[in-house]
Amino acid sequence: MSDSKKPLIEINNLVKKFGSFVALNGVSLDVYPGEVHALLGDNGAGKSTLIKVLAGVHPKTSGTISIEGKEVDFSTPRQATDVGIGTVYQDLALNALTSVSRNFFLGREIKKGPGPFGVMKMKEMNEITIAEMAKIGINISNPEQPVGTMSGGQRQTLAIARAIYFGAKILILDEPTSALGQKQQMEVLKTIKRVQRLGHIAIILITHNEIHARLIADRYTFLSLGEVIGKGMAEELGGDDIKKLMAGGAEIGDLRDELGA
Amino acid sequence: MNSESQSQRQESDRLEKKNWFTAIFARPEIGPLGVMILLFGLLGYFSIPEGEFSLNPFAGEGFNALGIRNNFRVIAQLGIVALGAGLLIIAGEFDLSVGSMIGFAGGCMAMILKWGFAIVIPYISFQGGFHFEGLKIFEITDVSPLTAILITLCMTLSFGWFQGWVIVKSGIASFIVTLGGLFFLRGLTEVCYRAFNRAPDQTAGSTTVTDLPDIKNIINVPGHGEMERDAAKALPNEDLLEILSNVPSQTVAKLTEQLTYINEKVALNKTAIQAKKMVETLEKSLAGAKESGNESMVEILTKKIEAGVEVPAVTAKAVTDLDIAKAYIDTIYTARPVANFFGGDILEPVFDWLYFTADWNVNMFGNQFAKGMYSCLMIWLIIALACYFVLSRTQAGNWIYSTGGNLNAAKANGVPTNKVKISLFMFTAFCATMFAACQVFEVNTADTAKGNLKELEAIAAAVIGGVVLTGGFGSILGIILGTIIFGIAKEAFFYIPGIDGSFYRVFLGAVLVSAALTNENIRKRIMGSI
Ligand SMILES: Nc1ncnc2c1ncn2[C@@H]1O[C@H](COP(=O)(O)OP(=O)(O)O)[C@@H](O)[C@H]1O
Ligand SMILES: [Mg+2]
Repeated sequence: MSDSKKPLIEINNLVKKFGSFVALNGVSLDVYPGEVHALLGDNGAGKSTLIKVLAGVHPKTSGTISIEGKEVDFSTPRQATDVGIGTVYQDLALNALTSVSRNFFLGREIKKGPGPFGVMKMKEMNEITIAEMAKIGINISNPEQPVGTMSGGQRQTLAIARAIYFGAKILILDEPTSALGQKQQMEVLKTIKRVQRLGHIAIILITHNEIHARLIADRYTFLSLGEVIGKGMAEELGGDDIKKLMAGGAEIGDLRDELGA
Repeated sequence: MNSESQSQRQESDRLEKKNWFTAIFARPEIGPLGVMILLFGLLGYFSIPEGEFSLNPFAGEGFNALGIRNNFRVIAQLGIVALGAGLLIIAGEFDLSVGSMIGFAGGCMAMILKWGFAIVIPYISFQGGFHFEGLKIFEITDVSPLTAILITLCMTLSFGWFQGWVIVKSGIASFIVTLGGLFFLRGLTEVCYRAFNRAPDQTAGSTTVTDLPDIKNIINVPGHGEMERDAAKALPNEDLLEILSNVPSQTVAKLTEQLTYINEKVALNKTAIQAKKMVETLEKSLAGAKESGNESMVEILTKKIEAGVEVPAVTAKAVTDLDIAKAYIDTIYTARPVANFFGGDILEPVFDWLYFTADWNVNMFGNQFAKGMYSCLMIWLIIALACYFVLSRTQAGNWIYSTGGNLNAAKANGVPTNKVKISLFMFTAFCATMFAACQVFEVNTADTAKGNLKELEAIAAAVIGGVVLTGGFGSILGIILGTIIFGIAKEAFFYIPGIDGSFYRVFLGAVLVSAALTNENIRKRIMGSI
């Protein structure tokens, strides 16, 4: 990826404190359109906290977030979605008991008529759902089928397609593969790859899985105890670097010794 | 390796295509529908009098005109509150205060209709010793039915809003908050009845309001102004004739024709009753003769019975002008349409047609059996239609399902889940008020025990109809079926010979639990697993 590209989102020196506990201690991070930026780190490193600040769930303590060069600040999730940050949480925010298209448009139904008593345009909603899911690679035969009947991979795709359709330029995926079986993990990675190829969307991928990261990530940032301990392009980093950084900076050899002791 | 054909297979292909037959039987409404048909069958066939045989389920008491009228009143009343309860459960909450709310709303309406409405500011007065005084800042007497309903709605909707607000803000289970509402409202209703009914000598008052006028039957009698229908029919003869003299001759002709038809029908039935009695007497004598061994007597009586009895036909009563005048008064439309809307009858032309033309809606004396259906049936169906529309077609419906199905998901997608819940608590209060309005204007009385246990019956009806208690799952059609099952079971079991009538509760209990098990099963199947 060339350096002439401007980052879609720039995070500078971001600090987040919960009371006196410093969850994020000056994190900086740039994400470019058409790139997958893997955010890696051990449990408790602050990955979820970082994306919750980006998603408007928690207010930041200090530091700046800029989108397309403009500084933004939000206090509600709504404001974050309005500037183009789409977050796909682990639980996906889907209602398994209702249909695919009802979920796709949940909270933003296409309707005709006054207020919440407007009649949903089911046909239009169904068509858009099918088309948008197809764009990132899943053909659903029946948009009226309950989400509960879909596979985990399909659900993930639904949540991603929904975020993109509703204007996400920055797509944040929180451990999208962790709850899935082998085959479905691949489905999701394929989906992410397709989104990447769309070219205009910046993807922040949080994962525990080094192999997954290496399969699709263009750039890496490693977090440990609330701080960035390493970053770089995919080409620059070797497998051992990644292993080491993921373990919070410790050498594998050290770990072996530790376990041996 | 056949990886080619493997990769051709899509994830979506794994969902088995259903044919229409399995699709129908996968509907959650299919179970309740079966139970309902079973109960209708029991009620229809067991209510056919002993010794008579008929394949027509409408031949018995259960589904004669009066049976239909009365059964669907029980169903409709329960149905009104079951819709509110059902929608609320779909959104993931409960309301146990519905029954008390019915009593409260009925009491409010009746008291306002009887004594009027006032807003009073209480204050402490020291003049003539320490005591409370009230400052009336607003008072209306002679409250119209519509105003009484609207004032009551203000109070009940506020209470519903308050309960919902406490629940969503505090996160306390709705079970506890509305259980509080159950005790609070029932107590408050009782206190109000006693306070307003208190006799001047400070003895405690009763907990009923009984002597309300028959508001729905207040009519505008030409030349006499507004009065109750019964009072109008009891006017002196010359007044009745005076009223009749102003009725167009076409109407008079039509009324005369109808009255003649009725009188002839009554005469025919009287004749038939006498003939039947005669046969019964003869059969009794025959039995006596057989017992005493009187051969010749047995022979004579048998011949007589075989020949058939002839009784002189009863002559039909002549139609007098007074009859016509009274019949005319019966046709005058109410001057209180709101009271009539809630407490009156509907479908009267249909029931007239069934009597005069179809010759079915006839009681054993030859008179018209039922004049129509109770109005609450219409109110139930109107609310049900509105609920169906909202739940299945509108944005609000999607919000209700998602609020109950996955609260966090709904919130994350910007659904105003608190507003959804509070609105539905207000809707259950609205349904309870509609129930109360139907009751008050129908029977013109109210008492503090009204609506007792209705909250639990409503929940049971919804669950039998396929609503899952944890929320997110259910349909209006299901709630309607559940209501019919709950409402008809008592009647159906009453007619089953040789069985204690209380078995209907045993039956309902079993149906309730099996319905809950089935619902949970269906829900799990739909939820699937990742
Ligand atoms: N709302 C909160 N209040 C206080 N501490 C929190 C809160 N959320 C997270 N933390 C703390 O912040 C640290 C980072 O957590 P998190 O961002 O969830 O880590 P990760 O997702 O990388 O595993 C943890 O020690 C966690 O206990
Ligand atoms: Mg986490």
